[in-house]
Amino acid sequence: MTVAAPSSLLADLLSGPRPTEWEAPRLAAEARLAGRELPTPRDKGWQYTDLASLSRTPFTPAPEATADISGDLLPEMVGTRQVFVNGRYAPHASCVSALPPGLRFLPLTLASEACHCLGTLAPETARSPFEDLNTARFEDGALILVPKNLRATLPLHLLFVTRVEHPSAVFPRVLIRLEAGAELSLVEEHTGQGPYLTCPVVEIQVGEGAILRHERIQRDHATAVHMTTLRATVAQGGQYHSRTLTFGARLSRQEPSVRLAEGAEATLDGLALLGDGQVADTHSFLHHAEPHGTSHQLHTCVVDGQARAVFNGQIRVAPDAQGTDAQQKSRNLLLSGTARVDTEPQLEIYADDVKCTHGAAVGQLDPDEIFYLQSRGLDLEAARNLLTYGFAADLLERIPVASLRRALRRLVLARTHASALGDLA
Amino acid sequence: MLSIKNLTASINGTPVLKGIDLEIKAGEIHAIMGPNGSGKSTLGKVLVGHPAYEVTGGTVTFEGKNLFDLEPDVRARAGLFMGFQHPIEVPGVSNAAFLRLAYNKKAEAEGRDELDPLEFDDFIHEKIKLVSMKEAFLDRSLNEGFSGGEKKRNEILQMAVLEPKLAILDELDSGLDIDALRVLGDAVNKLMRPDHALLVITHFPRILETIRPQFVHVLSGGRILKQGGPGLAIELEERGYDWVVEEAAPGGHR
Repeated sequence: MTVAAPSSLLADLLSGPRPTEWEAPRLAAEARLAGRELPTPRDKGWQYTDLASLSRTPFTPAPEATADISGDLLPEMVGTRQVFVNGRYAPHASCVSALPPGLRFLPLTLASEACHCLGTLAPETARSPFEDLNTARFEDGALILVPKNLRATLPLHLLFVTRVEHPSAVFPRVLIRLEAGAELSLVEEHTGQGPYLTCPVVEIQVGEGAILRHERIQRDHATAVHMTTLRATVAQGGQYHSRTLTFGARLSRQEPSVRLAEGAEATLDGLALLGDGQVADTHSFLHHAEPHGTSHQLHTCVVDGQARAVFNGQIRVAPDAQGTDAQQKSRNLLLSGTARVDTEPQLEIYADDVKCTHGAAVGQLDPDEIFYLQSRGLDLEAARNLLTYGFAADLLERIPVASLRRALRRLVLARTHASALGDLA
Repeated sequence: MLSIKNLTASINGTPVLKGIDLEIKAGEIHAIMGPNGSGKSTLGKVLVGHPAYEVTGGTVTFEGKNLFDLEPDVRARAGLFMGFQHPIEVPGVSNAAFLRLAYNKKAEAEGRDELDPLEFDDFIHEKIKLVSMKEAFLDRSLNEGFSGGEKKRNEILQMAVLEPKLAILDELDSGLDIDALRVLGDAVNKLMRPDHALLVITHFPRILETIRPQFVHVLSGGRILKQGGPGLAIELEERGYDWVVEEAAPGGHR
C-alpha cells in the first residue's frame, strides 16, 4: 500500500485545466505553489489545526451542478442576490432587479472591471497555499463596485452553494470596492451538501470615509472543509465592520487581515458554534498602519463534544500609528470535558501613544447565572440551554437584516438545544 | 405557609446561620432587619436554594413540604420567589422571552394554559405599567446594562409575572431613588393578597414606610436577637442596631 505524499492535494487540484482568463496571476500562483506542501502542525500558525485528513482525501475540481435555494432566500434581499453553485455563476437562481443604479454586483466572468481589481484591492500578506490555489483555479466569483457617495439602502446577498457527491474542490472569489463615501451592507453565505473543500478568497477595498458592513455566514456541510482568506484595506476615515459566524464544516479556517489607514475603523467579530469533532480556526491580523485608527474584535466560541476552537488574534500597531485604539476580547464556553479551546492574543505595538486592551476567558457556565434562572422556575437543563443560547446569540443582536437575525437565532437555538424553550427568536 | 425551625447554614465551612426560628402565615408581612454581615441575605438565599450555601441543620417547611427536598426551580414553581439585591445579567436572552418562559414554566406546572408571544404581549403590558417600566426594557437582554434601579424594577416585574405565594425581597431599596422606591413599594403592596405573604430583608427602615410589616425581626451574627411589631423598625431608625446586639450579649440586661 502506498501513502500519498502530503503535497498530492495541491498537485491533484492543479493537474486539471487552467481557466483561460487571468492567465498571468494564475501562472504566478502556480509558480508559488510548485514544490509546496500543505502546512503541518510543525509550521507556525498551524500547530493546532492538522490538515492530514485533507491531504489524504482525493479532491477533484467540482462538476457543474444545480441547487434549489428557495430555503436560503432572505425577503429583504430577493432582488439583490447573486448565487454561485459549485463555484459557477447560477443566473437562474440570482436576481438583481432591485440594485440601485450605478452599483455593480455581478459575476467576475461578466465584469470587464474585474481584471483591474484581481489581486490589487488589498495589500498582499503572507499567502496561504489555499489562496494561491484559489487564484490558480477559480472559475468565477462576484464583483461588487459601489461608486462614490452611493449609499445602498438594501443589503446585498451573496450565496455560495456547493453540491457534490464525491470529494471535490471549489474556489469562490470575491472582489469588493467601495469608492469614497460609499456605504454598503453585504451578507456573504456559504452552504452546501457533500464532502467538498471550499477555499474562498475575498479582497476588499474600502475607500475614504466609506462604510462596509459585512456579515459572513459559514454553514457548510458537516463533512466539508472551509478555508477562507480575506484581505481588506480601509482608507482614511473608512469603516469595515465584519461579523463571521461559523456553524458548519468539519474543519474550517478563517484568515482575515485588515489594514487601517488614518482614522479608519474596523470591527472583526466572530462566533464559532461547534460540536462533535469540528475544528474551527481563526487567525486574524489587524494592521494599524497609520495614526488614530480604531479596532474592535470580539471572538466568541461555544464548543461541545470533542470539538476544538482555535483563535489567534494578531494586532500590529506601526511606529507611526499614534493614537490607535485597539480592543480585543476572546470569550469561550466549553460545554463538555472533551471540548477544547486554544486562544492567544498576539500584540505587536511599535507606537507609544496607543490604547490596546485584550482579554481572553475560557470557562463553563456561571453557577450564579444558572441559579438565577432556576430561581425563576426554569429547570437545570432549560437554564443551561438558555444561558448557552444567550452566550452565542449575544453576537447576533446587532445584525442589521431582521430576517437574517431571526433565522440565525433559530439556528443557534437548535444548535444549543434551546428550541424546546419555545420561540425566543 | 413557611415554618423555619432551628435552621443552621454555612458557606465554605463557615457557619453563617446559627439557629433561626421563624413562622410566616398567609396574609402576613415580615421584615428582617440587621447590620451588614448579619446573615439576612443568607437566610433568603438558603430558602430559595442558592448552591453556595450548605444547610447544616434544622428544618424548613413551605406549604407543608420539606423545602430542602425541592430543587430551586421546583421551589420557584411552588410559589417561592426572591427578589435579589444584585440580579445577574444574562446577555443574549431578551427580557420578554425570558419572562414568558418563566411564566409558561409555572403555568405548565400548575396545569394552566401557556401563553403564546401575542397573548403574553397583552399580559406583560399590564404588568410593566404596574412597575412603571419603559417598554424598551422588554426587548433588551435580561438585566444587561441595566442600572441598579432598573434591575430592581425588573425583579419586581418578575414578581408580578410569577405572582408568588411568598416573596422574599432582599434590599429592594438599594440603588433606588425615593420616587422609584415608592413606585416599587406600591407595586409590591398591590401584588399582596390574603393568601400571599412577604418577607422584606432590609438594612434601612425606609422601605418599611411603604411596605408596612406586622412583624419585625432583628438578625445579627446569624441569630434572631429581637422580635417586635412595626414600632421596632422605628426604634431601630432612631437608635441603630448596636443596642440590640448589646442587649442580647451574655451579661447584657434584658
